[in-house]
Order: sequence, then structure tokens, then C-alpha cells
Amino acid sequence: MVQSTNNYAALEAEIARWMAVGGGGFEDWILEAHQFQRAHNTAYRNFCSGFPEPSCWQEIPAVPVSAFKSAGLRSFAEEKTIRTFETSGTTGGSPGRHHFCSLSLYEQAAAQGWAGAGLPSKNVVAIIPDAVGAPHSSLSQMASWLVPPDGFFFNRREELLACLEEADKPVIFGTALAFLDFFEWMNGRRIVLPVGSLAVETGGYKGTRREMPKSDLYGLFQERLGLPPDSVWNEYGMTELSSQFYTNGLGRPHRAPPWARGLVVSPSTGIEVGEGETGILKIFDVANLGSVCAIQTRDLAIRRGQDFELIGRDPAALPRGCSLAADELLS
Amino acid sequence: MNTADRAEALARAAAHFPELSPPTARDLLECVRLELGHEEILDGFRPYGGHLSMAVAPRAILHILSGNTPHAAFQTMLRGLLLGSHNLVKFPSGGLEQMENFPDMLPAELASKLECSRRLEEDWPGRAEAWVVFGSDATVAEFRAKCPPRVLFQGHGHRVSLGVVLDDPGLESCALAARDVSLFEQLGCLSPQVIFVAGDARRYAEALAREMERFASASPAPPLPLAVQAEVAHARADWDFLASGDHGVEVWKGAGWTVVHERGDGFPVSPLHRFIFIKPLPDDFPSCLGPLAGCLGGLGIWPAATANAMRFAHAGFSRICPIGRMQDTPFTWHSDSRQNLASLVRWVDFGP
Repeated sequence: MVQSTNNYAALEAEIARWMAVGGGGFEDWILEAHQFQRAHNTAYRNFCSGFPEPSCWQEIPAVPVSAFKSAGLRSFAEEKTIRTFETSGTTGGSPGRHHFCSLSLYEQAAAQGWAGAGLPSKNVVAIIPDAVGAPHSSLSQMASWLVPPDGFFFNRREELLACLEEADKPVIFGTALAFLDFFEWMNGRRIVLPVGSLAVETGGYKGTRREMPKSDLYGLFQERLGLPPDSVWNEYGMTELSSQFYTNGLGRPHRAPPWARGLVVSPSTGIEVGEGETGILKIFDVANLGSVCAIQTRDLAIRRGQDFELIGRDPAALPRGCSLAADELLS
Repeated sequence: MNTADRAEALARAAAHFPELSPPTARDLLECVRLELGHEEILDGFRPYGGHLSMAVAPRAILHILSGNTPHAAFQTMLRGLLLGSHNLVKFPSGGLEQMENFPDMLPAELASKLECSRRLEEDWPGRAEAWVVFGSDATVAEFRAKCPPRVLFQGHGHRVSLGVVLDDPGLESCALAARDVSLFEQLGCLSPQVIFVAGDARRYAEALAREMERFASASPAPPLPLAVQAEVAHARADWDFLASGDHGVEVWKGAGWTVVHERGDGFPVSPLHRFIFIKPLPDDFPSCLGPLAGCLGGLGIWPAATANAMRFAHAGFSRICPIGRMQDTPFTWHSDSRQNLASLVRWVDFGP
């Protein structure tokens, strides 16, 4: 039973208890979080004034991710900010900023989401910087809750390779770009990790000119590390969110933890698309209590039951006339 | 066929494309005269100063077309055929159906001077004495790097076009601006992306929104691929959010069109497809366009007085015209600020 509260800490504690217990109640809790944010987040309240009061979670107004660039989206007093994570950004301008007055829901969502997806907590290593090396990276912060301090091997490839050769069923966590760099550095060397080993890749190739189809990248996991595609996981997360969505192998949908949902909507109507249809992905994340729980991503996805199959941003969407796309110029 | 015969045949074929401002035979010959000095100078020696001269067209021209707007294809094929060259036309890989039918409208003798394909045939680059390339800066640079030194190269990069309303208390230019924005779904290099307005820019935006709706009612936007719909939806969401706060932003939108009034610094990014920004005209226009220098295309102005055009003559635009005529280029237009026939021919002199 959701008890309305005007107190961030009290609501956070209630949500944390609900997340820990699991089970249903998503709609009640996200509507409660939405009401709280509407009351305490001025920029979001202004945005919501253009929408009717939601009667179900799908109707909660979702802010575009760009809102994290243009507004201080806080559901708490600014002076209570303890951490701010920033997006890497690809087209110049200011980065998106996600402010927190408490990291406890984020930590719980990261750890519980990882475990809930079935990912092991032992022998996890990372090929990204730790939270000290990248204090504004939400990914590094998340990794710091999943990886022991001596498990970070950012730019220490020789040591990582030695570690992998010794480790018992390691789980390697990093960005797709970091893995690609590592594979290139291996320069033809190959190891075969023991059965039960996993890799978890996330992100893309943001800010770089490099890109590779997922199937090719997963082919490299097989070739260089002996990991079959089903042993490679993808984590879908964003600086602007607190929860993560996981899938493994190729062509499978991402699954939400019990406290979050994906919603695939038609770009022309804003209404949820039918099963198997493609649209814009919105994320509803109860753990995002300190900012905004409903976010319209820039990604396309296919609705797969309660899950979604991620397509990402479609480069074919770029204008194809001779009119210069200004973002191309300004990037 | 001599130049006049080709001009006649081309004008007849071009007339099938009324939306592309088709030139008459007279227009075509006038362009030859303006750029080369004499209407018959491609056909033989003609007086030129104290001697005789003849303009010799490339035996073959390779045309590389990217993008899906027909203007560039239309004009470059007309130029190549008017010169009398053989033309090797590489259409975009996604096709350009409207223009791919163009050879069918030509008499056999001219049609035989057009080879068209959606792929770059292996022998084409080696056969051409001139390359004309349309595309992004990266595409133009790629072909320029591959072009042999003795082959003429003419590159046409992408462009940004704008509008400036200096004085329009009666909002007379709004309906015309709606046409400029909406034609070709704003994908052309002469399609305005931002209109700067002196005076009450918000009032202008509101009136333009009404005209965009009126234009869309008569000429609805075509269905867009889902990914393009998504880009437009993202842009609308971004600006809707800004409009909800104290950012000096207001948004009007309808089926297939969006008008955003915004007062911020900088140049806003349009996803195109009838998505236009209205901004107050800054005092330092056009020097405020810094990042766009070198990429400017057309400028629509209102009122279209010569004195007003002179204010922007050195700003880097290749065409200044009245708002409402931005898409209607005459064949004599200096596309990319150059003479496009003259830059393709070489000269032979005869005499003392």
C-alpha cells in the first residue's frame, strides 16, 4: 500500500523496501513518485502542466533526455545535491546532468538489477575507469558497486589479460568501445575463457567515429575470448536513469527490473505500438526518484510483450537532401 | 544537334517538371550567352576580342548525386546536355524516381547522351573529363581526392539557407515563407531552416504557423519513414520541454509541420521536414552566423529591395531573393556562387 508523503527520505525508504521485497505494485509506486516529482520539481511541474493528470503509468509525461541539459531536474532542494553525473555528449554544447541527493536507490537498483538479471557477483572485473578516475561517469559509479576496487583494469590491458587467463569464470564489464579497443590491442592473440565466463557490454561508440554491428562485435568476443554470443550480455542504461535493462546474445529483448518499464510508442501518435511494432522507447523508472521517473529516450525499439528489443538511433533518419543538417555542421 | 537544337529539346523535356522552375529554350541559350559570351560558341569559332574562340565541352561528365531532392539532378543533367557532353549520372543508391525518368522525355539523340545508374559503374570515373559531385562535405572531399589532376572537378557541398524579414507589419510574407519552408519537405539546399525577424518575431511565428497549417491542408506532408518521424518527434519534445520553462520558447505544430519561436543565441538545429525556427533578427546579423560561414546557400529577404539585398551581399550567400521565391531558381543562377557552364568548358582560340 502506497502512503503519500512529501518527504524525499521517507518516500525513498518506502520505495527501497518495496524494491527489496519485489513483486507487483509498479503502477502505484511510479504514480506516487510522479506525484512527488510534480510537487517538488519545478521544471517538471511546468512541463506537466501541458498534460492531463495521468490515470495510469503509461500516461505519465516523459521528459526528453535533452531536458537534462537545459534544466536542473531535481525533486529536492539544489543545495542538497551530493553527486552529479554527466553525459559524454556527442554534438557539442553542454552535457546532460543528472543530480542526486542520495545514491541509495541508484545503488540498490544497480546491484539488485544485476543480480536479478542472473549475473554473478563474483570475479567481476571492469575495463572502464573507476569512480575516482571518472567522478562524473554514472557508469563508473555503477561499476564501483559491482566490481571490487582491485578489479578495474582501465588502460591496463596486459594486466587484464593476465587476470583473465588466471580467473575462474570471470565476468568482464565495460563499454563496447573499451572492448573493441581491447580486442584491437590483443592483435590476434586469443584466450579461451572457461565455460560460465561472461562479458557485459554497454553503451556504444559515443563521441567516436567508430561503429560496428553488434553481431560483428559479438563475433570478436567469440574469436578473442572464446565467449559464445549467449555469454555476452548487453546492459541498456543511461546517465539520466537509475535502473538498467539487460539482455544476452543476439536478437533478444531487453528485460526490465520489477521497478522499471519500457514503453514503445508511435512517434506520430505517442500511443503504445502493437506487439512486434517499432517506435520510440520511453523508460519509466521508479528508482529515478530524485529527478524524473519518465524519460523519452532517443532510441527506437520493438515492442516484445513487456520487454523491448533495442534498435537504437537509426542513421537512416538523418536528412537526405542537400540541405545541410545543422547538427552535422555544429558537431 | 547544335546548341539551339539541344536547348529546344531540353526545354520541351524540362516542361514536364513544373515544380522545378523549368527553363525555356530562351533561358538556356541566355545562360550560354551570359556565361560563354555567345549562344553559338559551343558550335564553332566565334569572334572573341581580336580573334576567334570556341568553347569545348568535356566529352563526358560524371555526375555524382546524393540526397533525394530533384533540383540538383535536374539542373546538372540540363547543363551537361546543353553543353553537348555525354553524361554519366550516378543517382543516389535509394533512387530518385522522378529524375530517373528524365531520359524518356528526351529525343533519342539526347537520350543517348545520358547513362544513368544507382551505382557508380566501374569505368565511369576513367571515361569522364569532368566530375560534378553533390553531397556532404565528406562526400565531396572523398571524390575530390580521387579525381585525377587533369580532370575538371566541381564540388557542391550541403548548404544552409535562411530568411530575413526586415519590415513586414502586415505579415504579408508569412504565406510565402510557408511555401518556401514546405516545398520539397525542407530538404533542398535552398530551403530555409531559420527565419530572422526584425520587430515582433513572436507575432510573425504565430502568423507563420497559421500559414503552415493552411499550406499543409492544401499540400499535406507525405508519410515519413518511421525513423524520420522519430527524429521530428524528438525535436518537438525537446522544444516542447523548453517551451514549458522560462526559456523564451514557444511552439506551434500541426500535422506535418512545426514552428518554433525562440530568442536564444546560437543557431537552432532543425530536423527539417517543415520544421522552422523564427528568431529575432540580431543587430550583428549576419556576423552572428559564424559557424555557418562557408555553408550558406540562399537568403530569402522581405522586403526584397536591392538596397536590402546589398546589406547581405558580402555575407556568403550565393542567392538572395524575395521570400516566397527561394525554391524558384532561374537557370542562370550562380549555384554555389559560380558559373556552372563556364567552369566546365575549355577554350580554343584561332587567329593571330
